[in-house]
Amino acid sequence: MTDMTTDTLPDDAGDETALHGGAEERKLGFWLTLPAQLLVLFIALFPILMQVYISLTDWSPLDGIPWYQAYELWIGLLNYVDLANDPRFWSAMWRTCIVMAICVPVQFFLGLGLAILFVDDFRGKRVLYSTILVPMMVVPAVAGYMFFMLFQSGGPVNDILSFFAGRPVTIAWLSDPDLALFATIVSDIWQWTPLMFLILLAGMVSVPQDQQMAAVLLGASWTRRFFTIVLPRMKTIIIIAIAIRVIENFKVFDNFYIMTGGGPGVATETISIYIYKVTQQELIWGYVAAIALAILITLSVVSALAIKKLRGAQQ
Amino acid sequence: MQRSLSFEIFRYAAIFGFLALSLIPTIWMFSMAFKPIAEWQASGADLTWWPKNPTLDNFRFIFGESGSDLIVALERTAGRPILASLLSATFGTLIAMAAGTAAAYGLSRFGAGGNLPLALIQLRIFPPMAVMIPVMIMWAFLGLIDTWYGLALIYGIVTMPFSFWLMKTFFDDLPREIEDAALVEGCSRWRVFLKITLPMMRPALASSALFVFILNWSDYLIALLLTTRDWVTIPVYMASLSSSMTGQLYGAKAALGLIAAVPPVIMGIAIQKQLVRGLTFGALKE
Repeated sequence: MTDMTTDTLPDDAGDETALHGGAEERKLGFWLTLPAQLLVLFIALFPILMQVYISLTDWSPLDGIPWYQAYELWIGLLNYVDLANDPRFWSAMWRTCIVMAICVPVQFFLGLGLAILFVDDFRGKRVLYSTILVPMMVVPAVAGYMFFMLFQSGGPVNDILSFFAGRPVTIAWLSDPDLALFATIVSDIWQWTPLMFLILLAGMVSVPQDQQMAAVLLGASWTRRFFTIVLPRMKTIIIIAIAIRVIENFKVFDNFYIMTGGGPGVATETISIYIYKVTQQELIWGYVAAIALAILITLSVVSALAIKKLRGAQQ
Repeated sequence: MQRSLSFEIFRYAAIFGFLALSLIPTIWMFSMAFKPIAEWQASGADLTWWPKNPTLDNFRFIFGESGSDLIVALERTAGRPILASLLSATFGTLIAMAAGTAAAYGLSRFGAGGNLPLALIQLRIFPPMAVMIPVMIMWAFLGLIDTWYGLALIYGIVTMPFSFWLMKTFFDDLPREIEDAALVEGCSRWRVFLKITLPMMRPALASSALFVFILNWSDYLIALLLTTRDWVTIPVYMASLSSSMTGQLYGAKAALGLIAAVPPVIMGIAIQKQLVRGLTFGALKE
């Protein structure tokens, strides 16, 4: 049984508050939500204020002064000026966008194709369905290691290629800049196509049958029914599925970092890997705070706009 | 709806073709975990897809038992990282479930905390890397660096959006009549929540907890930043299974990878009906 609910985005709270508006209810509601509120404050308010403060200084944990005395290294908005002129930051941003622009569409179309194959019943459906889901449940770091092994020059990928080429193939996948990026993208597609499939299939199954039946009776072809009835009704769920993958792809770290460490050079350095490296290796935390804050503000604006738009699309 | 025979053939061919590609990485790691050292790096004509002399040496090795043909001895065995992963993921799940479930009930029944849904969606959207500087400073100040409870705390916060949204959709689905009846009987709201609602929600609580546990167990980046030595988790420890001296210990890594990969795969398949609900924050229920 699948059903699409259109009321689960924010602001649908308290639909029956009026019915239970007594003092006891209000008190209980307050105490029940308090721990979650405190945890959100703890992880949002304080860190963000601290981040704003540190981002205006040249502070590093190696300076020997505690973070709250970072004002001694006050540099105003200089970190943000640096950020605007940091070619490595922009190239990491650009690379992250390229990864997204390749991974998300490939995952979407593969997932959609598979979902079409699974929408009606056939023998072995349950087992095949579960088997397809396996990659998305593998720990991403372990997935990164799996693909690290596969793409070794003496590894199975080259072995399969040699079989088809009829001669030994020894491509050094992970030490060539372009091929390394390709290999990391393959690992991402491998792991997350099942997620697209899972969500799109659930969305497809929830499209009401009656209109499709009517269309069948009227003699509409399968392709026509799919494009005029099924797809338009999946609009919301398609947006959600793509949004989830765009968000996750923007954060991508584990499999990339384990396969290549961001290299060779900076060939596979995504934005998360870039920030990680500046944090751990160059240790200029004032600058990292500026980068992080810039990303947080951009994402807040973009996500608020997107959620608003999505809610508009649902109504 | 009856489909033509040619479509059925195409369907199976396409699905099996996809699965064949999709299973290669998993099968390769599985096979590697049971290979003796001589077969780890064999390539070309010698490359073995299935171990010729299957052995458990890789598993013995990561748990510190010598007697395998690996010359190096491990400075640290895999036991402690496995414990670290278990403790931090389990207690992280408890924190996320306790705070998330309570808040979900408060919102679903009493309309309290109307700011939480959006705040938690944003918490989910932000890359952990973008708040890690302050978190590292705070954790250092609180003495939580390199402790399992420090990891558990951040895991609990990071995965709370999932437990909150999952439980909220379950509470929204739960008819209020039973609770109302108990209220008429004279039970207090607290008692109704603890003695009637929560027991009824046991299956929902269990699948949400498994979902959150998988997410916590899968973390790499946070543990990489917040643990240094004593409480590194499995994925962080994994990197130590290679060094300039030993080279890549393929088999040992694969054995550890298998240990890390099996629990979430089993749990994920067990709760596959709730996966969509969890991943889409309840926008789609199956």
